[in-house]
Amino acid sequence: MSRLWKEFSKGLWKDLPPFKLVLGLCPVLAVTKTADNGFGMGLAVIFVLALSNMLVSMLRKLIPAKVRIACFIVVAASLVVCVELLMQTYAYPLYLQLGIFVPLIVVNCIILGRAEAFASKNPVHLAVADGLGMGVGFTLSLTFLGSIRELFGYGTWFGMQVMGDWFQPFTFMIEAPGAFVCLGLILAGMNTLTNWQRKNKGLEAITGPVHDCKSCGMCATKPGM
Amino acid sequence: MREMLKMIFVLSLICGLSGLTLATVRQATSERIEEQVMTYVQGPSLKQIFSNYDNNPVKDRKTFDLPSGPITVFPAMKDGKLTGVAFETFGKGYGGNIGVMVGFVTDGSKLEGIGITTLKETPGLGARVVEPEFRDQFSGHSTDKIALKKQGGNIAAISGATISSTGTVSAVNEAVNIFNQIKDKLPTAWES
Amino acid sequence: MDYFVLIIAAIFVNNIVLAQYLGNCPFIGTSKDSGVAMGMGLAVVFVATLAAAITWCVQKYLLAPNDLNYLQTITFILVIASLVQFVEMFLKKAVPPLYRSLGIFLPLITTNCAVLGIAIICQREEFSLVETIIFSIASGVGFMLALVILAGIRERLDLARVPVSLKGTPLALILAGLMSLAFFAFKGMAS
Repeated sequence: MSRLWKEFSKGLWKDLPPFKLVLGLCPVLAVTKTADNGFGMGLAVIFVLALSNMLVSMLRKLIPAKVRIACFIVVAASLVVCVELLMQTYAYPLYLQLGIFVPLIVVNCIILGRAEAFASKNPVHLAVADGLGMGVGFTLSLTFLGSIRELFGYGTWFGMQVMGDWFQPFTFMIEAPGAFVCLGLILAGMNTLTNWQRKNKGLEAITGPVHDCKSCGMCATKPGM
Repeated sequence: MREMLKMIFVLSLICGLSGLTLATVRQATSERIEEQVMTYVQGPSLKQIFSNYDNNPVKDRKTFDLPSGPITVFPAMKDGKLTGVAFETFGKGYGGNIGVMVGFVTDGSKLEGIGITTLKETPGLGARVVEPEFRDQFSGHSTDKIALKKQGGNIAAISGATISSTGTVSAVNEAVNIFNQIKDKLPTAWES
Repeated sequence: MDYFVLIIAAIFVNNIVLAQYLGNCPFIGTSKDSGVAMGMGLAVVFVATLAAAITWCVQKYLLAPNDLNYLQTITFILVIASLVQFVEMFLKKAVPPLYRSLGIFLPLITTNCAVLGIAIICQREEFSLVETIIFSIASGVGFMLALVILAGIRERLDLARVPVSLKGTPLALILAGLMSLAFFAFKGMAS
């Protein structure tokens, strides 16, 4: 049980996907104009990530090592198509809002990264816990960033008016530049927090997440599709 | 060789299973998706056209067969009586097709109004066909002699966007043409 | 003339990274060194163009006639993944020098959402084959441009004293934000 909780909870803070591992940046920047868009995208990612982890883990003994990436891609892409169809059925306005970022979930590094790094090596229950944890962490991060941008960009939160009449919307926040700067500042804040904790423990300051393609997990799998 | 066969077998198995699942999901959802698309793409323009109705035109839609292909007709009803119909036609615009939803009063004497469903025009010029200023000229217009002022009609084109205006007018005229073909079937189609 | 507008729009106005938010992972990840950035950019131009052209044909002649449009995502990603693999093998055998400079970037491209993104945008905009090819080359060039500029700035920043918390990714993102603001000036041009 404690192992299960450990795998689930690491996605919520220690390995928080977008802010700590710096994975899957495109949707993080693109669909966080408003909090509910971020939240909807997050739900879609939870669905795909948890199920793809489950399926990959179930099939892990069957899949030959050489074609594993191809198999992961097929699994992830099928789930994404399912999400596309379900979203069109039950949440068409959200589908229009998220646009091409719904099909692009399939190339989100988190999905293939977790399949390769975790699900293909662990039993089913742990893989699902890991997928759910990472997905929930991703959703919370997207909703958080979306809330900040919506609050300053529109003066609303989940569509509800929060700011008074005096508020002059800060359009910069809902456009592309605002997304980049906002995410950069949040990452810097995370680093400051980490370093403050480390200082209290008497450790040296570190520069925080170094984003290169190695962290993708996927990219380390160069040979043999 | 055995390894190779296993690779091929597993890959085809996974692909086959995924194809089967997707086809099932697709089968289960296709009807609702069609309705959702209609509600969110055609629906808003229907609201612009009809003002006095109490049914759901998207839900009550019916398809009519024409020599030129099937056409989906959206009815507006009040207290169970048909008051008007609308359907979508396309005209050539500057950046692609313009989709125009054209609404008629049931007897076909005049237009109820028009709404734009799809459009890829230059923002600020052609895209202005969606503005009420242009659209409202069609509300209550009689069904004959719909033309731009330049061609002897009384519709004022949008300055700087002649192609988009012409495209819209020709779509409306095509709709009139289609209406005349299905006119006789209309009164009985929604009787229950 | 229309093609010219398409090119300008794809490179500057709707820059694939800075305005459309596509391909951010490699944008931040491979922009530490301008040589690497150049290589990655070229690889993206090359693969994105091939991928967009091939997926256009697949869509037109395979998916659309059989009413299989809902399989677009899965088909496209499989086509791109096998294409990348094939290009890698081909370059290794046929053009070793090119392979040595682009080879290491090719595997990274399968999960580069810019490539799949461009292919899907071409479908959604209902481009013709010629437009698709022109658009994908221009978008790839836009990606390369943004990447090389950011790499140039980051190389210079190596010499600057940056607060420790901002070092690395946070600063790169803020820089990207400022570049995006600069590219914003193109909005309204060629729209």
